[in-house]
Amino acid sequence: MSGHDSKYFSTTKKGEIPELKDELNSQYKDKKKDAVKKVIAAMTVGKDVSSLFTDVVNCMQTENLELKKLVYLYLINYAKSQPDLAILAVNTFVKDSQDPNPLIRALAVRTMGCIRVDKITEYLCDPLQRCLKDDDPYVRKTAAICVAKLYDINAELVEDRGFLDTLKDLISDNNPMVVANAVAALAEIQESSSRPIFEVTSHTLSKLLTALNECTEWGQVFILDALSKYKAADAREAENIVERVTPRLQHANCAVVLSAVKMILQQMELIISTDVVRNLCKKMAPPLVTLLSAEPEIQYVALRNINLIVQKRPTILAHEIKVFFCKYNDPIYVKMEKLEIMIKLASDRNIDQVLLEFKEYATEVDVDFVRKAVRAIGRCAIKLERAAERCISVLLELIKIKVNYVVQEAIIVIKDIFRRYPNTYESIIATLCESLDTLDEPEAKASMIWIIGEYAERIDNADELLESFLESFPEEPPLVQLQLLTATVKLFLKKPTEGPQQMIQVVLNNATVETDNPDLRDRAYIYWRLLSTDPEAAKDVVLAEKPVISDDSNQLDSSLLDELLANIATLASVYHKPPDAFVTRAKSAVQRPEEEEYPDGSETGYSETPSHATDAVPSASGSASAAPTRQVPVSPPPAAAPVPDLLGDLIGLDGALVPVEEPMTPSRPPLPVLLPASTGQGLQISAQLVRRDGQIFYSMLFENNSQVPLDGFMIQFNKNTFGLAPSSPLQVPQLLPGSSAMALLPMAMFQHVFSGPPSTLLQVAIKNNQQPVWYFNDKLSLHIFFTEDGKMERANFLETWKSLPDSNEISKDFPTHVIKSMDATIEHLAASNVFFIAKRRNMNQEVLYLSAKGPRGIPFLIEITAVVGTPGVKCAVKTPNPEMVPLFFEGVDALLK
Amino acid sequence: MISQFFVLSQRGDNIVFRDYRGEVQKGSAEIFFRKVKFWKGDEGEEAPPVFNVDGVNYIHVKVAGLLFVATTRVNISPSLILELLQRIARVIKDYLGVLNEDSLRKNFVLVYELLDEVIDFGYPQTTSTEVLKSYVFNEPIVVDAGRLPPLGPAAMFMQGTKRMPGTAVTKSVVANEPGGRKREEIFVDIIEKISVTFSSSGYILTSEIDGTIQMKSYLTGNPEIRLALNEDLTIGRGGGSIYDYASSAGGGAVILDDCNFHESVHLDSFDLDRTLTLVPPDGEFSVMNYRTTQEFKPPFRVNAFIEEAGAFKAEVTLKVRADFASSVTANTILISMPFPAYTTRVSFELEPGAVGNTTDFKESNKRLEWGLKKIVGGSEHTLRAKLTFSQEFHVNITREAGPVSMTFTIPMYNASRLQVRYLQIAKKSKTYNPYRWVRYVSQANSYVARL
Repeated sequence: MSGHDSKYFSTTKKGEIPELKDELNSQYKDKKKDAVKKVIAAMTVGKDVSSLFTDVVNCMQTENLELKKLVYLYLINYAKSQPDLAILAVNTFVKDSQDPNPLIRALAVRTMGCIRVDKITEYLCDPLQRCLKDDDPYVRKTAAICVAKLYDINAELVEDRGFLDTLKDLISDNNPMVVANAVAALAEIQESSSRPIFEVTSHTLSKLLTALNECTEWGQVFILDALSKYKAADAREAENIVERVTPRLQHANCAVVLSAVKMILQQMELIISTDVVRNLCKKMAPPLVTLLSAEPEIQYVALRNINLIVQKRPTILAHEIKVFFCKYNDPIYVKMEKLEIMIKLASDRNIDQVLLEFKEYATEVDVDFVRKAVRAIGRCAIKLERAAERCISVLLELIKIKVNYVVQEAIIVIKDIFRRYPNTYESIIATLCESLDTLDEPEAKASMIWIIGEYAERIDNADELLESFLESFPEEPPLVQLQLLTATVKLFLKKPTEGPQQMIQVVLNNATVETDNPDLRDRAYIYWRLLSTDPEAAKDVVLAEKPVISDDSNQLDSSLLDELLANIATLASVYHKPPDAFVTRAKSAVQRPEEEEYPDGSETGYSETPSHATDAVPSASGSASAAPTRQVPVSPPPAAAPVPDLLGDLIGLDGALVPVEEPMTPSRPPLPVLLPASTGQGLQISAQLVRRDGQIFYSMLFENNSQVPLDGFMIQFNKNTFGLAPSSPLQVPQLLPGSSAMALLPMAMFQHVFSGPPSTLLQVAIKNNQQPVWYFNDKLSLHIFFTEDGKMERANFLETWKSLPDSNEISKDFPTHVIKSMDATIEHLAASNVFFIAKRRNMNQEVLYLSAKGPRGIPFLIEITAVVGTPGVKCAVKTPNPEMVPLFFEGVDALLK
Repeated sequence: MISQFFVLSQRGDNIVFRDYRGEVQKGSAEIFFRKVKFWKGDEGEEAPPVFNVDGVNYIHVKVAGLLFVATTRVNISPSLILELLQRIARVIKDYLGVLNEDSLRKNFVLVYELLDEVIDFGYPQTTSTEVLKSYVFNEPIVVDAGRLPPLGPAAMFMQGTKRMPGTAVTKSVVANEPGGRKREEIFVDIIEKISVTFSSSGYILTSEIDGTIQMKSYLTGNPEIRLALNEDLTIGRGGGSIYDYASSAGGGAVILDDCNFHESVHLDSFDLDRTLTLVPPDGEFSVMNYRTTQEFKPPFRVNAFIEEAGAFKAEVTLKVRADFASSVTANTILISMPFPAYTTRVSFELEPGAVGNTTDFKESNKRLEWGLKKIVGGSEHTLRAKLTFSQEFHVNITREAGPVSMTFTIPMYNASRLQVRYLQIAKKSKTYNPYRWVRYVSQANSYVARL
C-alpha cells in the first residue's frame, strides 16, 4: 500500500460528506476502501459522519476482511443513533455468522454483541448459540465473551436461552483460551447478579488448575482471580491448591505473580502447619522483590500491595529492607511508598542502616519527600523504644542544618516523641527553642507551643517565649490559637507569678471577646470558669497525665486490613479502600434508553430537565414548593440521631468576602424563613437548598431590619448526613438598614460527614461583624441530591430490582396526595431527577416505575401506585441502602405535593 | 474490566481512542489529562499511575513520550492493566517499527484493528505479535526512523522506565522490506541496569543489577532456539538474607537472587546444563528477567571532595575512575551534583587536554552537570569547580550538597558476568545461516555516591 493513512484526515474545500458519499458508492474496491478509511478517520476525531450510515453499510457485503472490519467499526459507533437503519445490517451479520471463514464468523458475533440495539440483539441469539459450539476455538472464545455482552444488554434473554449453561460447559473446553474467556464472562455475570451463577466447586477447581498451566498470561489472571474466591475445605486441600499455583510466581508477567500471591495468601489462612507457612513465605519473598525491578508504575502497585502484606505477615520481607531503599531516580510516588514500607520493616536489628538512609533522604531536593523522611525518623522513634535515642540524635543533627521545613517537621515529630516517652528526652528542649523564631507553619508552631506549655516548669524563660507569640495572637490560625490558650493556662498553673497572670488575662480576653471562633471561645470560657471557681480543680483537669501515644505505622484496623488482603492485586489494594468505597455502577450515566413505548410527555420532560433544574427545584409546579419549615407528618428523622455539638465542629471560619450579583427571578417562590427578624435582632434569613445544573447551592436571602449596617457575613454548617459544606466562602455585601441581599452559595458534599444514622437535620451558623452568631436548623431534602444521571435503562432497572432482597423494599402510603395527571407528575418528577422508566395499568390504578440516584450513587428504584384524581398515593422503594428510605419518603412527600 | 483505552500525546492530544464498554463518559481523556498535568496530592506532584476521579479509575503508563491510558469502573487488577498497556505499546512497536505520535497517526486503521483483537469487551485476549499476525490484515506504513525529529522532552520519559527501552532495532516485524525478502536475523541483547550507592567513605552500601535477556527475531518459520547460559549459574541464595555476602563471596559462580522467564521458554534442561529452549514468537520480548545482589565490581568509582575556601567560597573536586578493561569504552556519561541553594556562581576547571567534556551549572535547581562523551576503561578524570555563595554556609557544607549521581552506558560490558555461551538455531537446511547478534550493554540505574 502506498501513501499514509494520515492523508485521510485532510479535508477538501468541496463539501466533505457528499464527496465521501460519492466515493463510498464507487465501483472501484480500492476507492471504496479508501473512502471508508476516511469516514473512520473523521469518526475518530469526533466528526459526525452518521449521515453516511446507509452508504457505509452498503460496503459491508464484501469478502475483503480489512474493509469488513472497518465497516463493523463504524457500525458499533453509530448503530445506536440510527437504530432503524442498523437493522439493514442484520442480514449480513447473520450471513457472516455462518461464513466458512472462522474469522468472519467470530467477527460477526463479536460486533453484534457490541451493538446495543434491541433489534440486533434479538437476531444475535441464534448465531451466538451456534458460535458457542463452533469447531473453531477462536470463534468459541469470542462467543464466550459475547455472552457477557448480551447479559449486560438483556440478562433475561441470556437466562431464557440457556446461554449460562452453555457457558459453564465451556469451562471443560479443550482450548485454554476458551476456558479463560468463559471464566471471565461467568465472573462478570456473577458480579452483576445476586443469584449464584458461577461458583467454583472442587470439580471446576481441578479443571481450572489444569487450564492454568496452558493458557495465555491474561487467561491465567482471569482464572487465578476466579479461583481466589474458592474456599478450600481443609488444610490439605489448601496445600494442594497452593502447590499447583506456586509455579506462577515465576512468571514474567507481574499481574500473574500478584494474582498468584493473592491466591496463596488466601489459602495460607487455612494451613495450620507452621513449617508449610514459613516455607511459603520464603517462596513468595523473591518474586515480590522482583516486582520492584519492573517499570515504576508496576513498582507502585507492588509497593502498595506489599504495604498490606507486611502488615499481616511481617516476616515475609523482614530481611529484605534494603530493596526498599530509595533509588536516586525513583519517581516520587515510588519513593513515598518505599518510605512507608521501610518504617514498617524497621526493627532493632536494622534501625542503624535505616536511619542512615532517612538522614540522607532528609537532605534531598524534593520538599515533600524530605518532610516525609523526617517524619519517618520520628515514627521509628515511637515504634522502637530502644532506638528512640538514636532517632532523636539524628533529628537534632537535621535541625542543626537549619533548613526551615526540616526544622518544622522535626519539631512536629519530636512533640509526638515526648508524648510517647514522657520525662525522658526533655533535655533537648533547649535546642528546639533556638529555632523558635523560624517557625511559620501552623502545625509546627502549635507543636512548639504545646512543648513549651507542657514543660513550662523546666524552661526558665517559658513566659518570655510564650509572650513572643501572644503579640500576634489574633492573626494566628485557630490551631495555633488553641495551643497558645492551653499553653498559657498551663504556664499560669505551674508558675502563678505576675507575668503569667497578665498573660492569661490577655489571652482569655483575646479568646473570648475578640475572636470569631466558637471553638476557641468555648475553650477559653471553660478555662476561665475553672480558674475563677477552683484553681486546684483546674490543675487536675489541665495538668492531668496524658495517655501515652503509640506507634501508628500499622494504621489499618484489622478488619479493614483483612478485607484489603482479600483484595490483593486489585484496585482496592492500591487505594487501601474497600471496593464499595470507589466502585459505582453508573452505567446509566452514558446510556440513554431506547424504549419505543417511551411516552412523549415524559420524553420532553426529561430532555428539559437541565432547564428546570436551573430554575430551582420546586418551580416545575408552583404548589410543590418544598418549604423546609413545614412539619412533615410522617417518618420523622430517626430520633436516635444525637444532635452533635455544633460549636465543637465549627472550626476554621474563613473566607474573603466578595459581593454577589445574582439576578433574582421574580417568579421564583419565596424562600422559607429560617431566622425570623424577631429572633435575629432584626436580621432575617431565608434559605433553601436548590439544585442547578447538577450542582447544589444554598440559596439565601438576607434582610436587614435592624438599625445598623451589617457586614462581614460568614457561614458554617455543622456535620450532617451528606457532609454538605460550602465549597466557596459566603459572599454577601454590606447590608444597610432596610436593605436585603441574595446569595447563592455553592455547596460540596462529603466534607464533614456526620457518621450517625441518616438525618435530615442541617444545622447552620451565620455570623457577621455586628451581631452574635446565629444558629438555625434547616432540612436536607433528599431530592436535592438526586443526580442528573439517575436514569436507569429498563433492563438494568429490572435486573437491579430483582437483585435486591425483598427486605430492601419499603413502601409507604401518602393518603392525602392526589395525582391529577400522570404525564404532569412524570414531568414534574423528572425535573427533580426522578426518572420515568415504565408504566402499566392495573385495574383502575396506574403504576409508575421510576429511578433516581442519590448521594454516593445510591440507586432508588421506585414504584408509585395511584388512581388518577383520587387521593391516596402508594410509594414503594427498593434500594441497597434502606437506611436512607425515611429521608427518601420525606423527599417524595415534598415532590408529590 | 477495561472501559476505554486511549493514547495521548504529551500535549494531551487524543491519538487513539477506543471505547469497549460505553460505561465511562466520552470526555474521560480530557479529565485524565488535566488531572495528571495539574496533579497535586499529599505526596508529591507527580500523578501516581493509578487514581480514581468520580468513580472512574484511570491507569496509565508513559511509553516513548506517550501516555497509554485505560479507564475502568470495576475493582480490576491494576497490574494486569499496567502490563497490558506496556504490552500494547510493544505490539504496536513490533508492527510499526517505531513507536511515536507520527507512526501512530499514519497507521491509525491498523492500530484500531490491532486493538480490536487485543481487547474484547474490556478483556485482554492476546498480546502476542505472532498470534495477532493471523488476525490482522492491514499492512504497516513504515515511518523512517532516521528522519524523525529528536524526541526532545519526550526523552525524559524514556529515562524513567527501568527495563531497557528496547533494542535499537527499528524495523517492523511484519512489514516486508523494500526488495521483497526479509533478512534472516535474530537479536539477543543482554541488558543490565546497575544500581550502586557508595557511602561517603567510598564503601558500597547497596548494589543491585536488574538484568534482562531481550530477544527480537526476524527468522521465518520460527525455528527452535537453544540459548546456553553460564554453566555455574545459581539461582536463589538459600536461606537467610539475600545480602548475606558470605555465601557468595569467593568463587566465580554467578548467583542470581531471582529470575523469571517468558512463557515460550522451556526449562526442561535448565537445571541440568543451564540452557533455555524456545521457539521465539515474532516481535520483541524478554526471554528472561533476573536480579542479583551478588557482590560485583562497580564499573565506576566516583569521589567528591569539598574544601571550604573562606566564608563565601568553596572548591569541589570530582574524580571519576573507570574500573573496567581498557578495551571497553563507556559513553554518554553524565555526572551531576546539587550544590547548596545559596550558590550564586560556579567556575569550572578541567584537566589540561580533556576532550569531549561539557560542564554546566544549572541555575534553576543549583546543580552541576558534567558530561563526558566517552570514558576508556582504566582512565581517570577530574573536574574542579569553584563555588561562590551569597551567604555564609551553615554547619557543614557536605550536608547541603550532593549526593553525586551518574548515568552512563557501557556497550559490550556486563557487571554480573552472566553470559550467553552459545545461541543455536535449529537448522532447516545446510545453507541456512541467519545472522545472530548477541550484544551486551550495561546502564546506570541509580548510581549514587554520597558525600
